[in-house]
Amino acid sequence: MTRYVMIADLRRCVGCQTCTAACKQTNATPPGVQWRKVLDIELGEYPNVERVFMPVGCQHCEDPPCMHVCPSTATGQRDDGIVTIDYDICIGCAYCAVACPYQARYKVDKPSYAYDAGPTQTESKRFDEARLGVAQKCTFCSDRVDSGKAKGLVPGIDPEATPACVNSCIADALHFGNLEDMDSNVSQLLTENTYFQMHVELGTKPGFYYLWDKEHL
Amino acid sequence: MSNTTESTMKYATEGKTTKVATYCYQCVNGPDMLTVEVVDGVATKVEPNYNGKGLHPADGKVCVKPYGLVQKLYNPSRLLKPMKRTNPKKGKNEDPGWVEISWDEALDTVGARLNKIRQEGLVDENGNPKLAFSTGGAGTPLSYMGAFPALFAAWGPLDSSLGAGGTVKCYHAEHLYGELWHRAFTVSPDTPLCDYIVAFGNNIDASGGVTSVRRQADARVRGLKRVQIEPHLSVTGGTSEEWVPIKPKTDSAFLYAMINVLLFEHKPEELDVPFLKHHTGSPYLIGPNGYYLRDKETRKPLIWDLKTNSAVPHDTKDTDPAISGHFKLSAVEVGADDQVWEHVNIDADPAHEKLMHHMKSHTPEWAAAICDVSADTIRRIANEFLAHAHIGEMKEVSGRMLPFRPVAVMLGKSVNNGWGAYECVWGRTILHVLTGSLEVPGGLLGSTTLIVGPESDRMASCTPGPDGFMSYPFNPTDKANWIDKPEDRHAHQTLTPGVGAGFYAQPLGSSSLAWMRLQGRGAETWVQPKPPEVWIVYRCNPVISFSETTRLGETIATFPFQVSFAYTHDETNHFADILLPDCTDLEGTQLIRLGGTHYFEQFWDSEGWILRQPVTKPIGDTRDFTWIGAELAKRCGLLENYNFMINVGVCGLPLKTDAYDFSVPADKVNSPEVVWDAVCKAASFDVTGGKSAEGLDYFKEHGFRVKPFPHINWYLYPKMVDQGLRFELPYQERVFRVGQQLTNRLHEQGATWWDHQLKEYEAMPEYKDINKIWDDAYERNYKVKIKDFPFWLLTSRSMQYAWGGNVGIQLMREVAENVAGHSGIMINKKTAASLGIEDGQIIEIASPVGKTRGKAILRQGCRPDVIVMIGQFGHWKTPYAKDFQMPSLNDLVPMNMDLLDGTGGSVDAVKVSVTRVEA
Amino acid sequence: MIRIGSFIQKNWDWRAASNFMFGGTGSGLLLLLVIATYPQAPPLAVELIALALVAAGLSLVWLEIGRPWRAINVFFHPETSWMTREAFVASVTFALALAGIVLQMPLLVAASAIGAAGFLYCQGRILKASKGIPAWREPAVVPLIIATGLVEGAAGLLVLLTVFGGVIPAWLEYVLLGLLALRVIAWSSYRGALVASNAPPAALAALGKISGVTLWVGNVLPAALIALPFVLPNLGGSPALVGAVLALLSGWYVKFTIVTQAAQVQGYAFGKLTKGHPLANKAG
Repeated sequence: MTRYVMIADLRRCVGCQTCTAACKQTNATPPGVQWRKVLDIELGEYPNVERVFMPVGCQHCEDPPCMHVCPSTATGQRDDGIVTIDYDICIGCAYCAVACPYQARYKVDKPSYAYDAGPTQTESKRFDEARLGVAQKCTFCSDRVDSGKAKGLVPGIDPEATPACVNSCIADALHFGNLEDMDSNVSQLLTENTYFQMHVELGTKPGFYYLWDKEHL
Repeated sequence: MSNTTESTMKYATEGKTTKVATYCYQCVNGPDMLTVEVVDGVATKVEPNYNGKGLHPADGKVCVKPYGLVQKLYNPSRLLKPMKRTNPKKGKNEDPGWVEISWDEALDTVGARLNKIRQEGLVDENGNPKLAFSTGGAGTPLSYMGAFPALFAAWGPLDSSLGAGGTVKCYHAEHLYGELWHRAFTVSPDTPLCDYIVAFGNNIDASGGVTSVRRQADARVRGLKRVQIEPHLSVTGGTSEEWVPIKPKTDSAFLYAMINVLLFEHKPEELDVPFLKHHTGSPYLIGPNGYYLRDKETRKPLIWDLKTNSAVPHDTKDTDPAISGHFKLSAVEVGADDQVWEHVNIDADPAHEKLMHHMKSHTPEWAAAICDVSADTIRRIANEFLAHAHIGEMKEVSGRMLPFRPVAVMLGKSVNNGWGAYECVWGRTILHVLTGSLEVPGGLLGSTTLIVGPESDRMASCTPGPDGFMSYPFNPTDKANWIDKPEDRHAHQTLTPGVGAGFYAQPLGSSSLAWMRLQGRGAETWVQPKPPEVWIVYRCNPVISFSETTRLGETIATFPFQVSFAYTHDETNHFADILLPDCTDLEGTQLIRLGGTHYFEQFWDSEGWILRQPVTKPIGDTRDFTWIGAELAKRCGLLENYNFMINVGVCGLPLKTDAYDFSVPADKVNSPEVVWDAVCKAASFDVTGGKSAEGLDYFKEHGFRVKPFPHINWYLYPKMVDQGLRFELPYQERVFRVGQQLTNRLHEQGATWWDHQLKEYEAMPEYKDINKIWDDAYERNYKVKIKDFPFWLLTSRSMQYAWGGNVGIQLMREVAENVAGHSGIMINKKTAASLGIEDGQIIEIASPVGKTRGKAILRQGCRPDVIVMIGQFGHWKTPYAKDFQMPSLNDLVPMNMDLLDGTGGSVDAVKVSVTRVEA
Repeated sequence: MIRIGSFIQKNWDWRAASNFMFGGTGSGLLLLLVIATYPQAPPLAVELIALALVAAGLSLVWLEIGRPWRAINVFFHPETSWMTREAFVASVTFALALAGIVLQMPLLVAASAIGAAGFLYCQGRILKASKGIPAWREPAVVPLIIATGLVEGAAGLLVLLTVFGGVIPAWLEYVLLGLLALRVIAWSSYRGALVASNAPPAALAALGKISGVTLWVGNVLPAALIALPFVLPNLGGSPALVGAVLALLSGWYVKFTIVTQAAQVQGYAFGKLTKGHPLANKAG
């Protein structure tokens, strides 16, 4: 059995947005669309203030509200837990976007480019008409996972089979792997450290774990 | 132009997807490794270089900045052809009337100007070079200039005094004193082993690059505790265990109080006494005039040997040096300009005893009132520091037992530059000396040597100097050798002895003084310098990044001929006469060194070479720097000398030695491929110990090539021990002497305008009230009331932008806005409320020299008396960035003699007023 | 709970709000129309207006979706999606109602009224299933949507029967008064539930801002105006008509506010720290 999950170690994260940039480039997302981003959180009142950096994005929930509400079945879930969007079916109603408690979904109706002058060569090369007017979000780089696995590589271990954000993370804060494999990198991290999941009370069973050591409830 | 690079250059094959390995050295923390995916000849994305795993301290990853390089390639605002100015009038509001021209015309025009200089003389009537060159990025642009520096080497006198930010925005005092004391142009904790870091504004997680971020993150998870002491909660403050909001520019008081706690609240034996006795100048006896007491015959400094109960030369074998107590002896004392005092039976104290005396009044209670931090907190941190130092423990490194002292004190910008910085860097290093945690495993390490050199071999820089200490290339201040007439516009060899005379000496001189002198202020007994006849500008934008930027632009507008290597139009090249569009990072070729130890936390167990190579054809008619260099050399009649410089090693290592000859033809315009193929061969030879000599093709395929770097070379301590050298602390006799001599020299000339700076040349720096220095400077120079400027305006590093020249890159803007402060001005929430300022409201910040506006960002993590502006903005010309409506901190920073410290540096913290702008 | 980064959602704007406004009124109207007239055939104009309201709401949503020409895909997910179910129910309702009209079979029209009731219920459930928006996912939103849809339907019916000269059942005004009371209860329990569940302060504020108007102008005043003729019969039906219009408009106001102004997203948060491998925990 396979259940891919991601881990963000908040003790490590410095909020540099390298993952944000790597994701944007790998997935050719238009300006303003950030499947992966890092929150810069300030807690408390002067002088007792904390600043925490928290990577967010699609949590690839085991029980994804976005999928349940989707009227077209465009949002689906793979056996390995990755929540998917079929751009060819999606009607762009954005119901999934309001159903997602993680603000992970975007909808872009018109082509938009970095500069007003029009698309750069890269943007032209990577433009995908299918993404217009439909929901989009983090895919856990399922294309990388799949092509990597096809080559016999291990997602989360071999970069070619691992999401771009994880590969890019300079603080080694992001990890990806199979939760069902008790010996996997992610299983080890979750066994050895304290962690939380976001909005568990909403029953989403997110596939995203935050290693952390302080209570902020 | 026939012999362009394009005919011979091989690019990533069209029609398929390839990955091209290259490097990023956009900031001082590089080089780091990356790959660029190229699809059908179009660069699509940046990825780490996974082959760096296990070699590179961050496993071959790069930070966020290089991800912008793809957009940098294809930015529609990029200049793609050389341009000339058609409007001879220069000014911010003048349209330069840019007209595109051919490379031939551009280079011929520049060449003609250069030839005129060569014919009429390389220096002007004031002795200043007629050719000037400015760059930024703390020298990192050299990693993008290919073989071009060979042109400067071939040229002769060059003025690099017109800084773009350096000496205001660098770790100036740390650079100079760090190198003097432990070959530390910058310092780093031995993070993989360190357990406790006290960081004064050292924003390592934003400014330390990927290797720092990774090593610090690893250490945090391992259990490292970092206490961040700074006026606003930076990114690094966020990742630290504790934030102590200290009042700006009072760090020296905190550090002195920590020293006080160690010296007076602990038994002497709790400190690292053996280290103090045998590896520092602590036992050196100090005479009544402030100089070492010396042996009459050998003139060696004396120590008091407790075994023989007598004064003996410091290098006497088998002694037990006294570091405290009072002793009676006869000796000589040698002062400035070789003044000699003969003393008979005088009372003398060892340097450590002097230190105790110097520090006695600086209690935590004394510091608490100054720093706005409780005495308990200061005391606790000092005690934690000492407790974590593991004094007495040893650790094996490369088969050798070394002291293990896992503590470090780090200083950030605004702490280690400008007034007060000497106290801070000295105080910090004293804490390390007292705990024996300098240059040993776990402790504070130097990263690189740019002043002493060689840059590529820090251990080789550890050579004996006078009095049992290391050598240091102070510029001469004695009567016979002092350079009494400035040889460049900031007079670095004349005024700032500590910067030396090496390759990086000019950029370390007082760039503020250079600009001020051009503006007719400062150094009034000297003649006002003339602007350079030709000013070449590359990868910097001083009209944004220096100080008093509006006025700076007016100065630049008076320069007769400016050549700017230009990516897009910007605020500085707005004043240029010729714009030359060079290849960007992903289009040019160059081989540079990799690994070893570098700043900030590039500590490798390997070293070698890494290639920058084109991932695509150059966009438009942009050219490789190596090509431009050769073409200009040809036009100036310098081609042979230019090639000679390449052959002797300007590109990183000599192309001809006794062991090999890969030299390039001296009489030809050599293509970039020919040059770098030769350099690659020499590098292969270097890395393989002569076993192979593969050239450019090898590096194009593999990207980099390394050999092992001995881990013990991270630490200077064993090298010092082997040579019987002591760390030159705590007492700064040399600095004191140099200062006295320089005072004499200047006074002999009738120059008293540097007296304020000369006072800083103290043997042990007295605590100074920096806030008062600013207050006095404002009231004296600008006739204002200081109470009208109640806030400190500080800046903080933006990892996304710093040094990247990427302010016009949309991707950077987009991701940077996720980090607090990138969309306006940060101000304490309560303070804002008291001023009637709401989140997002436009506020005006003013100093006596300028004002700026931006959106208020209300923060809790900011002292009530502090305003913070991240990065450097205020653009009015750079495409895309000019629409940001972001404030300019730099325009508010005064250039003023009163604010220049003894090293010629200053700080970009500035006292300001804050007002709400009525809508 | 520390809520981080909540902002107002922009995915559903006034067009989506219109579906709840017009669709709620239309479905409520159809339901009450049938109740009022069955087994007689209802007045065609009123019935068509009810259907047109529902159609208008759906059309505006259609204008909002990113791929309008794929709208047919909305029917693909009846298993769990309340949007699919709403679309199905709407289709069936239209089919039955139009068939009833064409075939002149009041039974079919009556059946369509059951569809309309289902449609109204679906609207409530659509909001409730929007887990990303605390002000929508609150279960008390369902009775509120139903209550206000019925109020709007009854109020609309009163107005339209008056306008088109239909027979106004004697019970209609009493029912409207009763529904208004139910709506007030639903509204206040909805707002109370949001406070209890720590909904985003901005959402609470947006609802708080309209609460006075909603209660007094949208419910109490209409009730008074509707009840006025009972006390002062010689005033005629005009006050009741004004009251009905206010009752209807206030329903729209509430729904417009909920969809466009109180739609703060969930935001981010820290969670409770846990130890041990998640699967081991689950097994344990």
